[in-house]
Formats: sequence, structure tokens, C-alpha cells
Amino acid sequence: MTHNAQRKLFIFVCLVPAFLFFCLFTIYPIVRGMYISLFDWSGSSEHMTFIGLNNFKALYEDPIVWKAIGNDYFLVVGKVIGIVLLATLFAISVTRLRIRGAAFYRLVFFIPNIISIVVIGVLWRFVYNPSIGFLNAFLSLFSDTPVKTPWLGDTGTALWSILWPSIWAGVGFYFLLLVAAILGIPASLYEAAEIDGASQATQFRRITLPLIWEQVKVSILHIVMTTLNGSFVMVLLMTEGGPDNATQVLGSYLYQMGFKQFHMGAAAALGVVILALSMLTTLVLQLLLRRDPVELS
Amino acid sequence: MTMKKGILVMLVTALVFLLAACGTNGNDNNKSPGTSESASGSPDGSTSASNSPEAIPTGLKGDFEIQYFVGGYGDAWWKDVIDQFQKLNPELNIKQSAGPKINDQMKPRWIQGNPPDVVYIDGSGSNPRQMVEDDQLLDLTDWIADAKNIDGEKLLDVMIAKPDEYNGSIYNIPLVFGSYGTFYDQALFEKNGWEVPQDYESFLALSDKIKASGISPYVHAGIYPDYILGGFLYPAIISANGDDGQILKDMGDMKEGVFKSEPVMKALNQLKEITDKGYIDPGAVAINHTDSQMMFLQHKAAFIPNGLWLESEMKKDAPADFKYGFVPSITQAKGGKFVALPYTSTMAVAKKAKNPETAKAFIQFIFTKQASLSWAEKTGALMNVKVDLESSSAGDTAKNAMKYYNSDNTIVAPVVVFNADVFKVMGDATIALTMKKITPEEWADRVEKAAAKVRK
Amino acid sequence: MLSQPSKFTKTAAQLALVLWALAVLYPLLWTLLSTLKDNSQFLAGRPWALPKSPLHWEHFSYVWRTYHFNDYFLNSVYVTTVSSVLAILLSATTAYVFSRFEFRGRRLMYGVYMAAMMIPMILGLVPLFFLLDDLGLINKLTGLIIVYTAWSLPFGVFVLGGFFRSLPKELEEAAYVDGSGYFRTLFQIMIPMARSGIVSIAIMNALNNWNEYVMGTIFVNDPSKYTLPVGISIMQAEMQYRVEWGPLFAGLLISMVPVVFVYIFFQRRIAEGIIAGAIK
Repeated sequence: MTHNAQRKLFIFVCLVPAFLFFCLFTIYPIVRGMYISLFDWSGSSEHMTFIGLNNFKALYEDPIVWKAIGNDYFLVVGKVIGIVLLATLFAISVTRLRIRGAAFYRLVFFIPNIISIVVIGVLWRFVYNPSIGFLNAFLSLFSDTPVKTPWLGDTGTALWSILWPSIWAGVGFYFLLLVAAILGIPASLYEAAEIDGASQATQFRRITLPLIWEQVKVSILHIVMTTLNGSFVMVLLMTEGGPDNATQVLGSYLYQMGFKQFHMGAAAALGVVILALSMLTTLVLQLLLRRDPVELS
Repeated sequence: MTMKKGILVMLVTALVFLLAACGTNGNDNNKSPGTSESASGSPDGSTSASNSPEAIPTGLKGDFEIQYFVGGYGDAWWKDVIDQFQKLNPELNIKQSAGPKINDQMKPRWIQGNPPDVVYIDGSGSNPRQMVEDDQLLDLTDWIADAKNIDGEKLLDVMIAKPDEYNGSIYNIPLVFGSYGTFYDQALFEKNGWEVPQDYESFLALSDKIKASGISPYVHAGIYPDYILGGFLYPAIISANGDDGQILKDMGDMKEGVFKSEPVMKALNQLKEITDKGYIDPGAVAINHTDSQMMFLQHKAAFIPNGLWLESEMKKDAPADFKYGFVPSITQAKGGKFVALPYTSTMAVAKKAKNPETAKAFIQFIFTKQASLSWAEKTGALMNVKVDLESSSAGDTAKNAMKYYNSDNTIVAPVVVFNADVFKVMGDATIALTMKKITPEEWADRVEKAAAKVRK
Repeated sequence: MLSQPSKFTKTAAQLALVLWALAVLYPLLWTLLSTLKDNSQFLAGRPWALPKSPLHWEHFSYVWRTYHFNDYFLNSVYVTTVSSVLAILLSATTAYVFSRFEFRGRRLMYGVYMAAMMIPMILGLVPLFFLLDDLGLINKLTGLIIVYTAWSLPFGVFVLGGFFRSLPKELEEAAYVDGSGYFRTLFQIMIPMARSGIVSIAIMNALNNWNEYVMGTIFVNDPSKYTLPVGISIMQAEMQYRVEWGPLFAGLLISMVPVVFVYIFFQRRIAEGIIAGAIK
């Protein structure tokens, strides 16, 4: 076999079977889902009627869709800020601030990541339960009258109450990631800064942040994507989108439409909207987060 | 156990008198047990059903699949009847597709035209109206007209609630029968000297007293608006419509304007009134049925809209001195009649069933008095078959319910299955109303819009 | 000489860490406490109270009897392990070729993988069901393995691609000069060098697949084939109808404890994996 043929064979074997396999089980169903979005289909009937873009038109006119998009971005922004801030704070604490017990925190903070989201959902529903939940019982200790706030049942608090467990469950992973990134920064840089008399804050701004920026960026992108595509699981487990659609996100609305209200065509159209939004968001973020790479001296 | 059975039997009897033009009299289930000819030769021959031999569906063959939702009623009854059916038909390969998420799990199979043979339609993700619209169910109109159960009785004769009709055809047969109403604890009421409200006015007056005593007057399961709709809003609408249940059917048929008609607005304003007066527990909006029922049992709330299954569902958790009290409705004007809102869950045969004859035979097999008793025993709820037994150790729920059902002073509303879209919007809007987020007018607006969209 | 951060900063940071550790650990402790309570203790409204005697240990045996947790565990371990290994194999080979070879269609293929990272899985759920059904893979763990593997690929290709690119080319060039073939070079030199990246991807995949439950619910409807999250969600849906709070928490605990122990046991390696992925 010639060298060139060997090379081609290698590329082929490494690439093509995996790609075909991948296309069959992810791309094909997605394309098929897009196709379904052009039909009026209950999702349980054997018959489908082609209606062009009417599903999209109906979604455009549906106020719940707009509310759901708003909620999606609320969760995206809330999770990005909450997780990145906390993870960075904790990571700095156990590394640069040299707080003792780093090994312990690294062990403990990651635990929510290994717990199934179903379990997390059940646990937090109990925390928020208005009559037997932990939160109200706790708050009642500081109040003369028993606190009965329906955390998941008030349009004002419900979405916040979903945001919090999402942050709770997410911090550990990014914490470890950022710890690793900080530990990877050469100590000599900090030593040089010390000699220049730079304070901790300055060191953070001048050295730590620029050098972990790549990881922060990856974290942000990852949180955004997983939130847009996956936050609906938490919503379904905690509130099913209620009360009065106050916590509806696109994914949970898709589930509601497709599996509860028998509009699979509209649900598929929602899926396309989610896809478009997450691509657009990622693209915009990529541009926003672009920052001159910092060269190590 | 026997006491429980007695209670239910009494209740069923009461309902029978109320709902059926003519009851079946006497014990006609005295035919000799006829399991000997079953080819299974199973040692215990445990078919407890008293069957007339010629009607027993034996010797059925092939594959047979049953889909049933498992929720509050558990699956003991299903396991039992299927077991009996299997023993009669040892060569039948029975497959059970069951569970609390079975509707979602089986959905793709229905789409593909590969459904189970027979289905019990209940639980979230199921809607018989949708199944009919999707042309998934077998038209049973002709068959049911003279189908007999294995005791030789006509199915239509033994049923408490008759099957719904969709454009004049029958597709599904009610298996479970229940009724919504408003529950309270008699013991608590007696202790506090509270009078059970007979109408809306006295309900308001009492709620005021209850609230002053530090208890929430009213709690419901906000996550599942079915309860407040069935126990409060629908009866209120019917009362406001001069006790005519037709309006509920019109709502089910999504007639234009019905959702902003005067009776509906009046009922909504009643709901708004108890909301504004703070009679509904603030936590209600965030909780599910079990949570709301627990609050009720704990005397954190005095009234709860619920179904007749409540007592048995919560029997493990009721305090010892708890005495279930029941009024069908609390929204009627002074001197007005009570409105009882019945509730059914149905069975149907798939249009694409591979073994439709066995499916029908199975339905004939289970719509018997024996099965009905067994259902009552195992689930604590009522099956849609009249049972006639002269036992009379009635319990709390039954005693109370019976008083009303036997009375001329109670209207029984029609069973209505709503379109899923309209129901969702109606539920959301109702919850929003109890949260003071919208007005009754906005409620009507929203639901009318949803109905218009579906009508298109 | 390193300057010390101010006392205040340190105290505040220490406090934040302790609080967060509490926030993480308390629900676990609470689960344990709740497991041993009966319903009346739940209703007493003091969630932090110790369970009263008698402790309801029978909740564990009840849950273990009623639900097949050992099956759920075995199924989850099997599905997670096989799909993670497969995904690593496929994504490592793919990523390597992308990072080192130029050929026609490279950008397009890479673009497809990258775009797929943003695809919401739920959009393809129903078509995927039909596909699996046509292939006879519904109600089979193999079906889940295939789906999980396929959905894990893009992220693996993305991260490992970056990893391979960061490795020096000299090693391979030396290997080729020595007459080593492409496959041997890949498996004997490059993959071992990318080991840390591979471990970190394997951990990510394993975590995702271990916890996945939407597809698991739809594609598997046979209690003996439930994975752990599916089993738990079915259990909690059923218990909700029976007000079995104690047993519910017992079930949650049973599902968590082995995982937490495995995690603690492999904690160092898992952390290293993530660290490796971070530094690339």
C-alpha cells in the first residue's frame, strides 16, 4: 500500500464510521424533527397535515412563548452569574487565599454533580414545600407567625426558586475547573508581581483573571448551552411550568405542547426555535467574550 | 376490610338508585362457580367470579396487550383480574404495559399504529377526546349495544355512568366512577360548633369564623387545577345556570361565548370573592394533591375540594379521631340545590388492535359485580358497575355522600371531557385568578381565545 | 516573600466556603434524617429534628423489596460504562484526524459536530424513538448505549481536538520516521499522551449518561431495564400517590450513597481528570 493510500485509509477508518453513526442517531432525528415542525400533527395520530410555517406563526403569536424565552434567558443569565461568580470566588479562596481545607471543599462541592437531577428535583421540592418544607420552617424560627410562602407557587418567586437549585447543582464542576486553571498558572508570575508590590486584588485582575479567562469562557459557553437545552428538566421536575406558566421555559413548553396537549408539530417548531436561539446566543457570546490572548512572558 | 367494603357497597347502592332508572334487584350472582372447565388446571382455580359457564371467554389464543395507568388506585386489581383472565385462557400470551408514566412511554407506539389491544385511559398525558380525534379507538357503538358480561348481564345495564358519545358514537367505556365534592372534618366542626354550610352564603360566613380561629378555610392542589375546577368552579357554574348541567357540556364542546356567559362569570366572581377574602390557603398554589390532602388532615385547612376516593387514599395518614364529612357543593345560592360533579376514567379498544376480540372479551370479563367489589376492596374507589349488597356498615364519607345523593336536593352534572388545550388554559387561568393575577374578565378572555383557536 | 491577603478577606472567604459546604451537605443529612421518620414527624414542621424512636429502618427494606434497585444500578453501570468507553474511542480517533490532517470536507464535518453541541436533544426525541424501534432497539439497553454514545461525541471531539492540537508534533514525526503506521502512532503514542484529557472527557460523559433520564424514560419501558434515574422517577411518581415520604427518602438515599462512595474513592482521579481538561 502506498503511503498516500495508507493515509486515506486511516482518515477513512477513523472518521467515516463514527460520523455516519453520529449522523444517524443525532442529525437524522433532528432533521426529521425540523420536518415535523411543518406539519399539523397531534403526536399520537398516524396522520399529519402539511401546514408550512403556520406552527411558527402560531408560536410567534403565543404570549407564552415570549414569556418562556424570557425565562430561559433569566435562567441563563442567573446561572452564568451565580455559578461563575461563586465558582471563581471559591476557587480563588482555596488557591490564592490559601484557605485551609482545600481538599475537603474540592471533595464536597462536587457532590451535587454526581446526584441525579431527579433526586435534586425531589429534594428541593421538599425544601420549598409551603407547609412541611425546610425553608419555611427555618424562616419561621425568626418570625412570630409561621411562614407559609409558596416559593414555587408565586409568580414572583417561582423562577428564582428554580434558579437556586440549578446553581447549587452546577457550582462544583466549574469550581474544580477553575481551581485547576489557577493552579496551572506559573508561580513565578505571582512572585514577580509581589516584588512589584501588587496587592491581591491587582494580582487577581492582572494575572489570575486573564490567565483563567479561557476556562471562564468555556464555562460560560457550557453553562449557556446546557441551560438553553436542558433547564427544562429541572422545570418539569419542580413546577411543570406553573403556576400560570410563570416558570415555563421553551423546553418545558415543548414537552407540554407535544406530550400533554397533543401538538407535536408545534412542539417540533419550538425545538427549532430552541436550536436557533442557542446557536445565535453561542455565536454572539463567542464574539463578546473574545479577548486578546495573554502571552506568558 | 369488610367494613370498608360495606361502606363502598352502600355508596354504590346509593348512587345506583340515584343514577340508574332501574336497579337490578336481589342476588343474581348465585350461579355456580365455573372454573372447572378452564384448561389451565391451576391448582387453586382462584377465579372468584361467579360465571355462567357458556359466557366464560376461554381458549383465547395469541398475543394480547393491556395498557393501564397506575396511579392512586395501585395495580393490585389489575394484576388480579389479568391473572384470572390468564387462568381462563392459558394459551393467551398476555402482556401488561403499566406504570405511572405509561401514557408517555406508550405514546410512540400509538403513533406508529402499533398500539396495545386494550387501554385504560387515566393519568397525565392521556385524554380520551384526543384519542378519538386521532382516530385511535375502535368504534364500540354496535358492540356495546348488546354486549353482555360473563354473568350474562348487559354491560349498559350494569353501568352507573353511561359511556360518553362523540358525534353519536361510543369509543370508550367508563370503568372508574367517582364524584367531586367538598370535604371537611366532622370532628373538628363539632368541636368548634361549626355548622356545615348548605350554600355559598353560609360557606362565606363560616369561612370568616374559621379564618379568625387561625385555620385556613380552604385548601386545594394548585398544581392540579382539576380539583378546584371539579369541586368549586363547575358546580358553581351549574348552580348559576339554574341547575342545568347542559352548560358544562357546552363548555366541553367549546361553544362560542360560553366561557364568558353569565353563569361562568358569576362562578368566577365567587372564586374571586373567596380569594380576595383570603379564604384560600396561601400555600395552595404550589402544592400537589397529596400535600393539600395532608394539610387538610392536619387541620391546617378546614375544607378541601376532592373526590370520593379521598378517604381511602389517605387512610394511612388520617388522625384517629378524623371524621370525613362531605358536601357535593358549596357554591349554590341560599335554598339552591347541591351539584354533584361525577368523574370517570374509561377503557377502550385500540382501532389497530391486533386482537380486538380478546380485548372485547376482556372488557366483558371485567365489567362484573365481582370485579366491582374487588375494585372497591383493593382501591377504595368505585368501579362503574352497580353492586347490590345488603351490607350496611356505612362509614363517614359514604354516610354523608349518600344523604345527598339520595336527596332530590342534589343535581348530578354530566361527565365532560375537555379538549386538552382549553383545559390547560382554563386551569392556568383559574390558578392565576386565585393568585389575583387576573380578573374574571381576563379569565373569560383567555379561555374564549383558546377555544376559538381549537375550533378553527 | 508573599503578601498575605487581608484578615477580613480571608475570614469572609472562609465563611462563604463553610456556608456552601453546609448547603451541599445538609440536604444529604436531611435525607438520612427524613428516611427514618414517619409521616406525622414530617408534618410536625421541624425538618431538622432528629427522627423519633422507633426509627423506621423498615423503609429501606420496603423500598428495596418494592423497587429493583440492584437492577437499576447494574443497568446504569452497564449503560454508562459501555457508552462512555465507546464515545471515547470514537471521539478520540475523530478528534485526532481533525487536528492533524487536511482533507476535503474537513471543515464541514467538524462544523456538523460543533453545531450538534447546541442541538436540543428533545427536538429529536420522537423521531429517534421510531428509528430505534425500526432497528429493534426499544426496550433494550443497547439502544440507550447507542444513543448516549452518539450524543456524547461532539463534546469529546471538541475537547480532545483541542488537546491533540496542543501536543507537540515532533513525537509523531519521529514515530513516522521510525516507520510506525498511523494506527500504531495514534494508539501507542498519541492517545496515551492525551490520557488526562481522555479521562476528563470520560468523566463528563459518564456523569451525563449516569444522570440522563428523559431519553431513558421514553426508550425503556420495562422495569427490569430501568436505569437508576428512570427507576427513581418512577418510584417518586408512584409514592406521590401513596404519601410515602419516608420510603421516598430511603429510595433517594439508596440511589445516592453508592455513587457518593464511588466518587469519594475515585475523587482524586476525577479531580485530576477535570484539571487535565482545564489546562489542556
